[in-house]
Amino acid sequence: MLPNYLIICRSLTYAQRTASVLERAGIRAPIQRAPKQAAGDGCTHAVRVAEHQLAAALAVLNRAELSPTRVFMQDGWGGVEEVTP
Amino acid sequence: MIYLDSGATTLQKPAAVPRATARAMTRMASPGRGGHRPAALAAETVYRCREEAAALFDVPSPEQVVFTSSATHGLNIALASLVKPGDTILLSGYEHNAVTRPLAAADVTVRTVRAPLFDAEAFLDAFDRALAGKVDCVVLTHVSNVFGFILPVEEASHRCAALGVPLIVDASQSAGCLPVRLDGWKAAFVAMPGHKGLYGPQGTGILLCGRPGECILRGGTGSASRRQEMPEFLPDRQEAGTHNVCGIAGLLEGLRFVRRSGPEEILAHEQALCRRLARGLEAVPGLQVFAADRPERQSGVLSVRHERMDCETLGAELARRDIAVRAGLHCAPYAHAVAGTLETGTVRLSFSAFNTPEEVDRTVRTAAQILRETQG
Repeated sequence: MLPNYLIICRSLTYAQRTASVLERAGIRAPIQRAPKQAAGDGCTHAVRVAEHQLAAALAVLNRAELSPTRVFMQDGWGGVEEVTP
Repeated sequence: MIYLDSGATTLQKPAAVPRATARAMTRMASPGRGGHRPAALAAETVYRCREEAAALFDVPSPEQVVFTSSATHGLNIALASLVKPGDTILLSGYEHNAVTRPLAAADVTVRTVRAPLFDAEAFLDAFDRALAGKVDCVVLTHVSNVFGFILPVEEASHRCAALGVPLIVDASQSAGCLPVRLDGWKAAFVAMPGHKGLYGPQGTGILLCGRPGECILRGGTGSASRRQEMPEFLPDRQEAGTHNVCGIAGLLEGLRFVRRSGPEEILAHEQALCRRLARGLEAVPGLQVFAADRPERQSGVLSVRHERMDCETLGAELARRDIAVRAGLHCAPYAHAVAGTLETGTVRLSFSAFNTPEEVDRTVRTAAQILRETQG
């Protein structure tokens, strides 16, 4: 199973805006609740992108001035490992 | 029934509004409170509503659209954010109690712009003079809820921006029929209800935020839950507690109706009805009609009073004949003071996109008949 990448957003609304920008750029970006280990201050939401689209997604977000502060790789068990955006 | 009380609440709604509200009741949960389908559906609907409002009201980002329970709620947030003890607050003179009561409870000096009703040029001259003194915050009603006077908010906003004075706009009577522009006005906050010109359900409102502001309600937001301070970011900072998802689902359909119809088309329709009504009522003996000489300065709201009949009596007589209007002070004593109607009040007739010329004509005939019969 290929890993997914989670772009952590500070709020649900921010995640929705992030997803909207990515979807408009043709990048599939479903929203999910961020895993506990990646949630920082507590509950938050994340946008999930496939590994092969991560670089493109980050470039799109950078252009839209929505640069994420944290990105995690998630395995099939829900485990996460932070990666440098 | 002829419903002419849309200045209070629009009763006739686009069919999609009650449908969406009812659908949300059984299919949607709470945004941000779960990862399941009902929560996701609610989140999607609430976000679509933010996007729709942002597009209609010149808001740079959907996060700056905050859902409130009413315009009053939004105005209370705005005032709590900008008003400090000792401040001097400048008002247009047409403010609703939603503005003036919170200010009366604060330790501030309130000044009002003094200019005749419907005279936008005199208003701006007086506004400039007032702004030359100490002013810490300006609150402007976009349209008087009593007289339909369209205040020159666009011009006034540029003056505030040039002087760096924060501006709050009460768009309760203008949202949905006039251009309302958070970014274009450089406003700190713009508040509006969902249940008037946006055709949403009662219990909905929108606060457009140029800044995060102070919280007047604290609680769960579904974000940053370990922290005991409210989040710094919008909309979460101003949206503690469970959203009115059913109301917002209906409001989304109301906003879509307004955007589809075109606010300028709705305004033109209501203004035409207002002029027709004013012309008809001006011919009724004893009635004083508050109509602007320049019709473009008046929205679809008209106030009248009779030289002998009490305004509440006239309102009740119309209601008995199935014509819904509103009589009294309309929660806006400041506006009545400007027009000299504080002691008598007025009967207010206000339109929506769903009213017709035939309804106007019947209202004129009925009012004339009531007054004729009373005079015997």
